[in-house]
Amino acid sequence: MISFALDQEQELIQSTVREFARAEVRPRLRAWEKAREVEVGARRKFHELGLALVDVPEALGGGGASALTAALVHEELAWGDAGAAVALWTPSLAAAALVELGGPEQARRWIAKLDGAESFGALAWSEKGGPIAGFSTVAERNGDGWTLHGKKCFVTNGANAHVTVVLAQIAGERDGWDGVGAFVVGAGAAGMRAGDRHATLGLESVHASEVILEGVHVPDEDRLRVEDFPAALRRLLERASLLTAARQVGLARAAYEVALDYTQDRKAFGKPVAHFQSIAFTLADMLMDVESARWMVWRAAVALEGKTRSPLIAAAAVHANEAAWRVADNAVQLLGGAGYCQDFPVEKWLRDTKTLALVGPPSELSQLHVASHELGHTVGEELPSGALQPMLT
Amino acid sequence: MVEFDLTSSQQRISEFIGQFATHVVRPISLEADRAHRIPDVFLERLTAMRGSMSMGEIPQEYGGEGAGAGDVKDPKEEKRGPTQKNRSAMVAAEAMAWGDIGVLMSLPGPGLGGPPVQFMGTPEQKARFFGILQKPGLHWAAYGLTEPGAGSDVSGIRTSCRRDGDHWVLNGRKCFITNGARADWVVIFATTDPALGRAGHRAFVVEKGTPGFSVGKIEEKMGLRSSETAELVLEDCRVPHENLLGGDDHYTGKEGFMGAMKTFDSSRPMVGALGLGIARAAYEYARDFVRQNYLLSRPLPRYTQIAATLADDKRLLEAARLMCFRAAWMADEGIPNAKEASMAKAYAARVAMKICTDAVQLLGAHGLEQHQFVEKWYRDIKVFDIFEGTGQIQRIVIAKRILREMPTF
Repeated sequence: MISFALDQEQELIQSTVREFARAEVRPRLRAWEKAREVEVGARRKFHELGLALVDVPEALGGGGASALTAALVHEELAWGDAGAAVALWTPSLAAAALVELGGPEQARRWIAKLDGAESFGALAWSEKGGPIAGFSTVAERNGDGWTLHGKKCFVTNGANAHVTVVLAQIAGERDGWDGVGAFVVGAGAAGMRAGDRHATLGLESVHASEVILEGVHVPDEDRLRVEDFPAALRRLLERASLLTAARQVGLARAAYEVALDYTQDRKAFGKPVAHFQSIAFTLADMLMDVESARWMVWRAAVALEGKTRSPLIAAAAVHANEAAWRVADNAVQLLGGAGYCQDFPVEKWLRDTKTLALVGPPSELSQLHVASHELGHTVGEELPSGALQPMLT
Repeated sequence: MVEFDLTSSQQRISEFIGQFATHVVRPISLEADRAHRIPDVFLERLTAMRGSMSMGEIPQEYGGEGAGAGDVKDPKEEKRGPTQKNRSAMVAAEAMAWGDIGVLMSLPGPGLGGPPVQFMGTPEQKARFFGILQKPGLHWAAYGLTEPGAGSDVSGIRTSCRRDGDHWVLNGRKCFITNGARADWVVIFATTDPALGRAGHRAFVVEKGTPGFSVGKIEEKMGLRSSETAELVLEDCRVPHENLLGGDDHYTGKEGFMGAMKTFDSSRPMVGALGLGIARAAYEYARDFVRQNYLLSRPLPRYTQIAATLADDKRLLEAARLMCFRAAWMADEGIPNAKEASMAKAYAARVAMKICTDAVQLLGAHGLEQHQFVEKWYRDIKVFDIFEGTGQIQRIVIAKRILREMPTF
């Protein structure tokens, strides 16, 4: 049956996060932008809501909710502030990486360390100038463990993570995705340090930095092992795509609402500017973008839970990126000079939406994923990568 | 619970109509387009099948068989509880339009004339007019609202009606009427006095052969060529009082006009789904053409660019379908959906236009050839941004529902 009816628990979570975003997040958006961090008080309050590990299976120490519920949480958070939606979620993609790439025992052990307002996770994926397939960071066999060498970049919480999942090429195995492994490094491990913090276009409250690995020792039990590793990597990227897409919907909805209010308050030629058709039609188009992106995200979330691989997650990611950018751009445009200045949040959102589009797989990669599925053969590089651009994790 | 699987009965509808569209409808599609006509013998075969093959619904209590491709619901029924009707009608509409939109629009049945009779008519009128459509042979009804001087602005109609004893005298012209020339009866909207606005509007069922009622020109169009689009002329046309829809009582309020609007509200998500049926056909045709012709013969970077266009079209098709399903779901649940129905129709039309345009482009010069279907679909699809409310009118409907105060446009 086709239904758009959330269940009661989903509605409750949605309204809880909506209220949190309204009361705690939106009012501090500019303060966090300047401070370049989300203040600890808000992080604690978010942690008290108990939603940080909401979509991690119960058996692994999480809330056991569906991907759709996680998408609802991140839409609402991002309505408050897209940067906060990334920064407040302190387990970060590390939790998803542990769920997808690790065995149950490994995942349970490390996820336990992510269950706290002050505990941060990180996924160290991208590299500057790394190969298109696989990584330049190397893991060498060393006695009963592994030694990691390399330099990662665009790593959220890279400087303060208690749990960092590092993707690396296994020395001696094949180049490319078949020879990749994932390793968990705890806080304070010898040989691992944060490099420069990235100063970014938007999402300023997200702390993203380089991570430098110089002979980091990882015991073999902390190499994440799962049956079909490339398939697991794909699913991890799909989870990243879904959350980013959900946040784009929240950001777009926020921008639409600000534009809708402003254009009705602002008068020109004797009437609210929203009562000119060119403005009103733009508002209608913005709402269509917001809603179509939301239903694509919902559809993708349901598909992610399904048994078969679906192109709909990648399709939703592209759709939400495009829709949110268009809505944010239209919002700045409809506010005119006011939109360009920082008294209104829309200029930030136009910067944030482009930044967000590079959190997780870039649209070009998702496009090829959809096309490969539709044409029945691989177009470009085989997934998980094939993207030429590095992504922020 | 949020879910996106069709019910088993919707899957059956989709598969059955899909098979039918592939093996029965598609083979006559191009020829019918060239001939500007669907052969009667073909329509007779379809009529013999009936069931899901009628255009519009004859209510069951008046001898009909239930949901058709142009299905609409009775607003009274939605209060009884959720149904699957609108979602099922959407599935059927997309599958039929995938075959050929001209065939669908030419199917015998009440068409858009059905809803006003169903919503506004007295029991006697419903029995009489729906009865006519169930006699042996091919029977159509039609819907006459648009005039040379009034389309989107329905309140501007000038066709006049004047009471004269137990008759009304109608004068005016109606245009762009689907199946207008062959219809057994047409619902004609007229006004007692243009100065009265909506309060002056009356709806009549005008039967074929009524003195003073004639067919003007048959339009030649960019697309939908096998579908008949007629001009209707009313010259001192005397219509019996018992053909005034709903009787005198119906026009004490504003219902005369609202009857016309209700027809559109309930049909908009279906119209979106029809457009998506054509778009899906074009998308699949282009995708298969690319797969068969370009894969091994083109450098990868250029192939990748073509693949990205296909990926865009696939995604937009899904997004637009979800917009339509959302509006249809709301209708089935009895949730007011005027805004969502307009968004669905406007969005689907725009998406469908893009997909059909891309399909011609992806085939290259082959896309221009008249034996390739995409050339026809490119012409057919444009009307979806025009009929049943242009894209601009849909945006006005949306704007009026999101703004705090009624705008003056």
